[in-house]
Amino acid sequence: MNSTLNVCIVDDDDIYQFTMVKTLRSLKLTDSIMVFSDGEEALDFMLDNLHNDKELPDVIFLDIDMPIMDGFQFMEEYVRIKPKLGKKITIYMVSSSVDPVDIDRAKKISEITDYIVKPITHDQLTGIIRELDSSGAL
Amino acid sequence: MHKNDLKLSGEYNKIFIEQAPTAIAMLDRDMRYIAVSQRWISDYKMEGKEIIGRSHYDIFPEIGEDWKINHQKCLNGAIDICEEAPFKRADGTIQWIYWDVRPWYISEDKIGGLLMHTGDITIQKEKERERARMIEILDKTNEVARIGTWEVNLIKNEVYWSKMVCEIHEVPDDYKPSLESAINFYKQGESRDTIQRVMQEIMATGEPFDIEVEIVTAKGASIWVRAIGNGEFVDGKCVGLFGVFQDINERKLSEHALSKANAELRAIFNSKTVAIITTNDKGIINSFNYGAENLLGYSASEIIGKKAPGIYTVKEEVEKFMLDMSLKYGQDPRHFDPLKELAEKNEFDVREWTYIKKDGTRLTVQVTLSAIKNEEGELIGFLNVASDITERKQAEVELLRKNQLLNFAERLTMIGNWQWNTITNDVIWSSNLYEIFNVEENTRLTYDTYFSFVHPEDKDMVTDHVQYSLKEKKFPDLLHRIKLMDGTVKNIQLLAEIITNDAGEVIELVGTCQDVTEQRMAEIKFRGLLESAPDAMVIVNEAGKIHMINKQAEKLFGYSAKELAGEPVEILIPEDYKGKHSEHRSDFFANPKTRDMGEGKDLYGINRKGELIPIQISLSPLKTEEGVLVSAAIRDITSQKLAERRILKAKEELEIFSKKLVSKNAKLADFTHITSHNLRAPVSNLNSLLGFYKLAESEEERVDLFEKFETVINHLTLTLNTLVEALNIKKDNTEETLEDIEFNSVMVKTQEILSGEIMGTGAEIKSDFTNFPQIAYNKIYLESIFLNLVGNALKYRSADRVPKIFVSSGIENGKKFLKVSDNGQGINLKRHGHKLFGLNKVFHRHPDAKGIGLFLTKMQVEAHGGSISAESEVDVGTTFKINFN
Repeated sequence: MNSTLNVCIVDDDDIYQFTMVKTLRSLKLTDSIMVFSDGEEALDFMLDNLHNDKELPDVIFLDIDMPIMDGFQFMEEYVRIKPKLGKKITIYMVSSSVDPVDIDRAKKISEITDYIVKPITHDQLTGIIRELDSSGAL
Repeated sequence: MHKNDLKLSGEYNKIFIEQAPTAIAMLDRDMRYIAVSQRWISDYKMEGKEIIGRSHYDIFPEIGEDWKINHQKCLNGAIDICEEAPFKRADGTIQWIYWDVRPWYISEDKIGGLLMHTGDITIQKEKERERARMIEILDKTNEVARIGTWEVNLIKNEVYWSKMVCEIHEVPDDYKPSLESAINFYKQGESRDTIQRVMQEIMATGEPFDIEVEIVTAKGASIWVRAIGNGEFVDGKCVGLFGVFQDINERKLSEHALSKANAELRAIFNSKTVAIITTNDKGIINSFNYGAENLLGYSASEIIGKKAPGIYTVKEEVEKFMLDMSLKYGQDPRHFDPLKELAEKNEFDVREWTYIKKDGTRLTVQVTLSAIKNEEGELIGFLNVASDITERKQAEVELLRKNQLLNFAERLTMIGNWQWNTITNDVIWSSNLYEIFNVEENTRLTYDTYFSFVHPEDKDMVTDHVQYSLKEKKFPDLLHRIKLMDGTVKNIQLLAEIITNDAGEVIELVGTCQDVTEQRMAEIKFRGLLESAPDAMVIVNEAGKIHMINKQAEKLFGYSAKELAGEPVEILIPEDYKGKHSEHRSDFFANPKTRDMGEGKDLYGINRKGELIPIQISLSPLKTEEGVLVSAAIRDITSQKLAERRILKAKEELEIFSKKLVSKNAKLADFTHITSHNLRAPVSNLNSLLGFYKLAESEEERVDLFEKFETVINHLTLTLNTLVEALNIKKDNTEETLEDIEFNSVMVKTQEILSGEIMGTGAEIKSDFTNFPQIAYNKIYLESIFLNLVGNALKYRSADRVPKIFVSSGIENGKKFLKVSDNGQGINLKRHGHKLFGLNKVFHRHPDAKGIGLFLTKMQVEAHGGSISAESEVDVGTTFKINFN
């Protein structure tokens, strides 16, 4: 029972990208997966599809540590374009950092639903997708 | 002789005797009358009496034994002659007689009896006595009138002065003047000119003189004299002068006084201020002087002939006058004329009257009413002398009012005033002083009254003070206690003025006495407050003089309060601070409010030993009776100062320490970051891959996953190597690894290493190290820094431009620096600045960007105590600047 959710992964780590895509596929959670290597690439895509709800992601797994535009910089830009977006997007911050400075900072941003420490487990991933799916169905 | 002849001659003798013009009696040897002259009978008043043949002693029974003895002597041949003797007659009268009693001889040796020749000289005697009396009276008169006589003998050139003349000249009685010296007594000027003129005249013409002139006596007194002179002429030539000389000084003076009094009287009568009105005995006004016209506004012609009183008097006052007078003389006021009574009693009445002027205004006058009598003593009128005392009256009222004010003021300020007559020991107190001493007013006062109230403990002090004052004739202010009857103790302050007579002797003390108990209590309270203040307090007046200080101030500055009182406050201020102090003080008094002194400046005081004391001063104005004072609270901040210094030092040390800590923390944070991102990420990847590997269903899939493992492991290895390198940087940073390196040689080596890229890109590399050619540094690090920065400049070159790189060194503001500038892509520092030098941070999608170079460069620079920064503009270029320590 594959979800129709558009899942978006923003991370510069090739291996992480690979494992996330493989996990989502193997758990048959969704077929619609987008991958960007840094915040700027993801932001450019969203600006190009501001009103294209079909293409815009439902959920974004956002890494912090990335070149060009890191996770926090992406959030600053996202807050700015959010009113223009026609779609509600859920954002999880996913990072290998257990640095409390990073965690606190993420928690203070209301647009971020939760902070998840890498590696993300299969159960966590399944739970997130299921919940979003059901709420979306309502 | 013949008997008949004898008889005849006896008859003749009788006839001769009987007819002799003088009093002669012939007596026989038994003292019986033989014959008497008519004169004898008349002298002894014996007309009609038969005396011939009768005994002399029968006729004159009053004749005493002494005469009878003399007669017997004469009958024996003696002659008794007496020029004058009183003869007390039987009827008591005294008859002055002279006599010549001698015997008559019958024969040569036979005495027949006595011949008595007497004369009554009573009249001559009386005349003589009268003359003597007259002379005596004249002498007395001369003495009383101070009249003397003088003579000048011009032949002998001698001057004679009588006793009185000498006295008038105040010279001794035996003074012998010459004509010249006599004239020299006359006062120089008019008097002497006059006497010289009249003397010349009298000698030339004989014209007598009578002048009134002034002389100066031997004792220097100037007196008026009258000199009268006459000339004595012999053969038309003046041989002498004589005259009288009278002291008329008193007369002259009284004449002057009289003429002055006359003039004054005249002035009074004509004066504007004294009104003189007279009436006849019926009360009709008959004279009204200029003063009256002026005072009442009526002209004399208007008023003369009118009846007084009633025109200018107030009815009620006239009635009151009548009543007063009738009471005074005990008369029935209804039938009583007070003026007549005054006239009879020769009295006068003085009182104040209100007079009404012609224009209706009223004035207060003082009037003397008296009667006028003629020479016979008959009443002919009344005299009314009035003077305007309105102003005096007003002044009196004013004085009274002022006195009340003074009393009021005395009560308010609790001051009394006093006078002490030191001669009579009479003391006068103002009424408030009685109140201060709580003594019944009108108590008789002496010095002892006051002294009895002096507090027992203060008595000695007061006695000393008073004695001192009387001796030195000055009275310093005296403050002492008094103890009242009821035991109340008060503090009083006495001020006094000493009054002396012309001889400089103290006769009186006048002064004030103030009850200063409350002030004293306030002062004591204030003192208490002052002493209890924790700080040193110095109270200064506007002139900058120290008023008082407390114990703490004594301790702080090492002076006693007594020593400092009255001294300028600058005595407590060090030389360097004195200059502007008085100016500051004036500013403070111009705008007195509580404030700290010398805000923001370090203040110092100077103690007696000349030591500087760091102090803090707070000033407040203090309003007192003596004006505004300033109270300075002074705190010795020596210990604060020391503590402050210690704190400052500790703070500096802490700052250094904290800087070190911050830098350590930063490094620690770097490593936390590195651990979180650069080590945990690959490990987590490895875990994920491992999971897949275990679930892999085909060999192909496993090979694929294994390749992924390899990537992660290589990455991890690189990261770990970098970390190890970084840790080594910190460890290697010791003195021994430093060597002097020329920037140019490093630059050459860098270019050699990068020659491939330089040639491939056609980059232009320039350098300039002339301003700062070499540095003591770790050689490997410096080469690494050059390689990283120049390498980055080549790596992140602009695609549109040929790379241009400029490397230079220099000294700016004493700091040594190295700069590497390029014209490459640039970095958005706003976005990436915070992680520019982080591990594995990359900002470009460049295939070789690993985020290691700048991380290591920073580590190497900081290891030497330097810092690295960057300036950049996107698509223009970047400049990295290293500041060496």
